[in-house]
Amino acid sequence: MEIYQLLPKTNCKICGESTCMAFAVALLGRKKNISECTPILEGDFKKQKEKLEALLLPSAGAEETGMIVHPEICTGCGNCVVACPVDVANDPKGAAIGCAPTNDKVIFRVVDGKVVASNIKECRRFGKNRVLCYACIDPCPTGAIEFV
Amino acid sequence: MATCPGCALLCDDIEVIVENNRIKETKNACRRGAARIKGCINRLEPKIAQKPSDIESAVRKAAEILGNAKSPMLFGWSNSTCEAQVKGIQLAKKLGAIIDDTSSFCQGLLIEKLLQKKFRTCTLEEVRNKADVLVYWGSDAQDSEPRHLSRFSYFPRGESRQRGYEEDRIAIAIDVRESNTAKICKGHFYRIQPKGDREFILALIDALSGKVPAYEPKKILELASILKKAEYGVIFAGIGLTYSIKDDFDILVALADKIPNFHIMPMVGHYNMRGFNENLFKETGFVNRVKFDGKVVHDNRYSIVEALREKSIDALLVAGSDPLSSLPRSLVRHLASIRVICIDPCVTMTSKIATVTIPCAVSGVESGGTAVRMDGKIIELSKIIESDYPTDEELLSRLMGAL
Amino acid sequence: MGIDVGKFLKNPEYEIKITTYRDIFQVEAQECDRFGKDYEKLSACIVMSKNDMAKMGLKPGDRVKVTNNNGSIVVEVRESKRDEPGGVAFMVNSPWSNVLVSEESGGRGIPEFKNITAKISLVKEETTTLESLMEYFRKLQ
Ligand code: SF4
Ligand code: SF4
Ligand code: SF4
Ligand code: SF4
Repeated sequence: MEIYQLLPKTNCKICGESTCMAFAVALLGRKKNISECTPILEGDFKKQKEKLEALLLPSAGAEETGMIVHPEICTGCGNCVVACPVDVANDPKGAAIGCAPTNDKVIFRVVDGKVVASNIKECRRFGKNRVLCYACIDPCPTGAIEFV
Repeated sequence: MATCPGCALLCDDIEVIVENNRIKETKNACRRGAARIKGCINRLEPKIAQKPSDIESAVRKAAEILGNAKSPMLFGWSNSTCEAQVKGIQLAKKLGAIIDDTSSFCQGLLIEKLLQKKFRTCTLEEVRNKADVLVYWGSDAQDSEPRHLSRFSYFPRGESRQRGYEEDRIAIAIDVRESNTAKICKGHFYRIQPKGDREFILALIDALSGKVPAYEPKKILELASILKKAEYGVIFAGIGLTYSIKDDFDILVALADKIPNFHIMPMVGHYNMRGFNENLFKETGFVNRVKFDGKVVHDNRYSIVEALREKSIDALLVAGSDPLSSLPRSLVRHLASIRVICIDPCVTMTSKIATVTIPCAVSGVESGGTAVRMDGKIIELSKIIESDYPTDEELLSRLMGAL
Repeated sequence: MGIDVGKFLKNPEYEIKITTYRDIFQVEAQECDRFGKDYEKLSACIVMSKNDMAKMGLKPGDRVKVTNNNGSIVVEVRESKRDEPGGVAFMVNSPWSNVLVSEESGGRGIPEFKNITAKISLVKEETTTLESLMEYFRKLQ
């Protein structure tokens, strides 16, 4: 819904979907790319496009794990960085002891004061030995990380 | 690696990507820190009587005002390097002026007791490696010192806390409000009424002495038993607690004495407030509210609040602070009728009514130096980008020269 | 044609206790531009519990006048995200909350930032701007 609100809402069909709503659903399901909506790349919609990207980018990979990150409410506290068991295992001398991550194998990083997730396939909620891990959700003060 | 001057945690693991002498991206700094490093959009300009001027003339005018004042005061300092603070103290001495800092209406009382060694304290590294019971009391670290829990206290694995927060540590919040920190202390949040800290401490002391506490006995007894079992406990005392028991600090010390493995750490917001307290303490034996009057006189009358209330000052130099914004309006009214000199990197409410404004570099971003972390450790600041603005230390030297 | 009684009745006034706190988003806005819209938006508000809001007939986004002996401001009502029992409302430390803080300090140099009592009532006016707070000081000069 939040995604739909940010689209041009003209139902012009350039993106190949019949309505903006359908495009929003396709975006959420990663079946479409923002740039396929050419009207939003132009002029007045620039701000909205940035917001859309913020909404969508961090959760690239969400189709497998269902992770959604909301950078706009993240405080950049780093609790998730240090609490995630994958980060602890992959960076014992950095993230695990509260310091800045020392390698690229961690899932969470804080960039410009907001969280960015990568390596999401490493998440324990994914793969064949998956477990229902809450180690990044419970320590978050603002609910900036969700799984859908 | 750079140091973040965003708060008194002075995180020194920040990566900054600079392009054409502009900050493009920060890594590892929290939202508060990233904002500080990126800087403000409205830089201060040199002005005299709100008319454009140049730094040189502004400094001369400032010297004239301070030199002619009957009762000048120098205030601010918690956003200045130790080097600038020392200069500020020298300037106060030379002028026979009053000097006070923001700790005066913040954590000064507690830091004074700490420097007088009235209670046990510890370092943040000790917290990381040893602490198992963490009490956030009247402190919302998540919003004020955002990386406190992730870098040092609750989440990291430490030498004797290898299993991390899930099994090895308990975080407790005592607060009027269910803050973001309280949310993380789920299950160990104790809500108190405004000004209820005293009652809560007395009840805890009772519980720890084997008596049944008069107030919420079940919860208090449960908390007392957690505190008693602690191997290495820390009370992070926030301003919520300080404001509430300001008249009666000894009860906090008495509480800490009842739990022998406990330490008290004052939570400090501004990046070098503790630095000012230590620097002035070294010089005078007091952390704030001092007048150099041939000798050193310490009195509550020399606090910014009382000085404004009693209208006892006729000129005020403000370094890196915005009293018009951070103090009660009924109190700062008086600033409109005296001469105010502002040294700051950015336009502030105070600078908008100041007689003289002098821009300086953003310390810890455009200039280096040292600062004191909230636990007393000295941390080197970084010069991340070049700037044409003089440092506040340099401006104070020039000001002293112009007297 | 009925008479619009509401037009003549003053909105009811309630006593409220206010305590101040810090919010990282407001601090961020202050670092960037203390005269900007974001800072104003994040400062000129009061966070209340659902209970208190129901009791006083307030909705999120309503504007209220908060008044005591020290001054008066108009701010926006926000609903607390947490289950607060009520009785206490919250405002971030800012020039807005500082209008309401008393200068009394018992001679000890610390005002009661966290212990404010005021009266609150629904109004239609816009929220107090930083510019108008600034104007107050300019007029004194
Ligand atoms: S291209 Fe954009 S504006 Fe056109 S229908 Fe698709 S989403 Fe809507
Ligand atoms: S669910 Fe667990 S493993 Fe997955 S990202 Fe969050 S903390 Fe890491
Ligand atoms: S724990 Fe939440 S607020 Fe903190 S960095 Fe992670 S996502 Fe952001
Ligand atoms: S916690 Fe404080 S010092 Fe560390 S990055 Fe955030 S603002 Fe900077």
